[in-house]
Amino acid sequence: MGKKGILIAVEGMDGSGKSTQAKLLYHWLRAKGLPVYHTEWNSSKIVKEATKIGKNSRRLLPITFHLIHAADFADRWARQIEPVLEIGGIVICDRYKYTAMARDGSRDVPSEVIEATYAFAREPDLTLYFDVPVDVSFDRIARGRPKLKFYEAGMDMNWTSDPFESYRIFQGKVSEIYSGLVDRGRITRLDAQGTVAEVQSRVREVFEANIDLSSVEVIDQSDRLAQNLSESDIDWLTYSGGGEGQ
Amino acid sequence: MSHPGKLIVIEGPDHVGRTLHARLLSARLKANGIATHTIGLARSELMGVLVKSHTADIHQLNWRTRSLLYATDLHDQIMHEAAPLLNAGFVVIADRYTLTPMIREQVRGGDGKWITSLYSNVPTPDAMVILHAGPRRLLNRIMFGERLEALNHFEAGMDLALSTSITSSFLQYQRMLRQAFQSEGQKAGATLIPTRLTVERVHDKIWESVRPVVAEMLQPIGDSNP
Repeated sequence: MGKKGILIAVEGMDGSGKSTQAKLLYHWLRAKGLPVYHTEWNSSKIVKEATKIGKNSRRLLPITFHLIHAADFADRWARQIEPVLEIGGIVICDRYKYTAMARDGSRDVPSEVIEATYAFAREPDLTLYFDVPVDVSFDRIARGRPKLKFYEAGMDMNWTSDPFESYRIFQGKVSEIYSGLVDRGRITRLDAQGTVAEVQSRVREVFEANIDLSSVEVIDQSDRLAQNLSESDIDWLTYSGGGEGQ
Repeated sequence: MSHPGKLIVIEGPDHVGRTLHARLLSARLKANGIATHTIGLARSELMGVLVKSHTADIHQLNWRTRSLLYATDLHDQIMHEAAPLLNAGFVVIADRYTLTPMIREQVRGGDGKWITSLYSNVPTPDAMVILHAGPRRLLNRIMFGERLEALNHFEAGMDLALSTSITSSFLQYQRMLRQAFQSEGQKAGATLIPTRLTVERVHDKIWESVRPVVAEMLQPIGDSNP
């Protein structure tokens, strides 16, 4: 049996605008009536708790940082991603294994270790890499923020004692790894500069050029209605449905 | 990964006597002038509390997620405890190491090769012993040795749906584990030691495997050789 479903990933540096675009892509496909699911990096409940302990105590080292994030991904893979793909749906992953390659790779975890850990995560049908110059994403994240988080800034690597400087070094390494992945054809570069609307039209263009939606079954309208109904209520005061009750 | 210390691994199922023998080995080494430290599953500062307090939740997780959480736990102990101590010349005793987390998932259909790959950069054991016992012996130890309620759902492998009876499930599950420990242990060059013997005899057998590895570090207690 061939692979089922459609797997889309968005990648890029913090502040590249990829999350905004991924959500717009999700809403667009949903509006078309397609079965689409959206999932974010580092959002599985049980693993989040462990990650929090590790981050607060600053006990996480590159290898444990790598493994714990993989645990998060594996949890979401088993609960959300794989099941949706198995029934032929579309999954949009806001960050995928390439984030691990970029971040853990920047922390000197060997790339073959990272590839082996994520061996179960198949290559997506399309991975959009939201490319913006490091300075632009840096400004978007750093501006107006009094401080950066310890691991976010890569302070665990002791490159420098200044968090903002450390973050810049970290993002430089991350950007380099992403560029290598683009060169090897693993991910598709997308110019992420410009207004949200401009970027979204580029996203849709690349999406339509690469993804064939003909095999995806549109969700039956009654299923959609049933989903809405389960969340709705009836105003009994004006309700004049069947029966004789008051 | 060369270091002056030694890593001794003791593997085997629950109730086989691993922890007791790890303690006896540690005491004997200490009496002979060797500093020791013991690590084990779900004992890391990072994951220990979480793994222990959420046992049921963790059993509900997908095998890959569970494997990664156990790998995180062991790596935390290796990076923060075992590796620095091995570099300082300690004998580190691992009361379970990479075999148990692999075998437990393998008998449940998990991919053993992938799980093993998660441990590709951990220190290689200098000696490994696997304690084993017949399933019925283990069951007797639980049911007539300690408290009856110690026989729990997961230890009995009830999640595998081998049988509706907890004791029969336990026996079948332990048989599977024992076979896996034996075949994986042989591949890894481990010494298999049956625990139907007395505590002293089992300890002596373990010491036979460990002694050559630590021979040059031993300092006699009295006049005789340890």
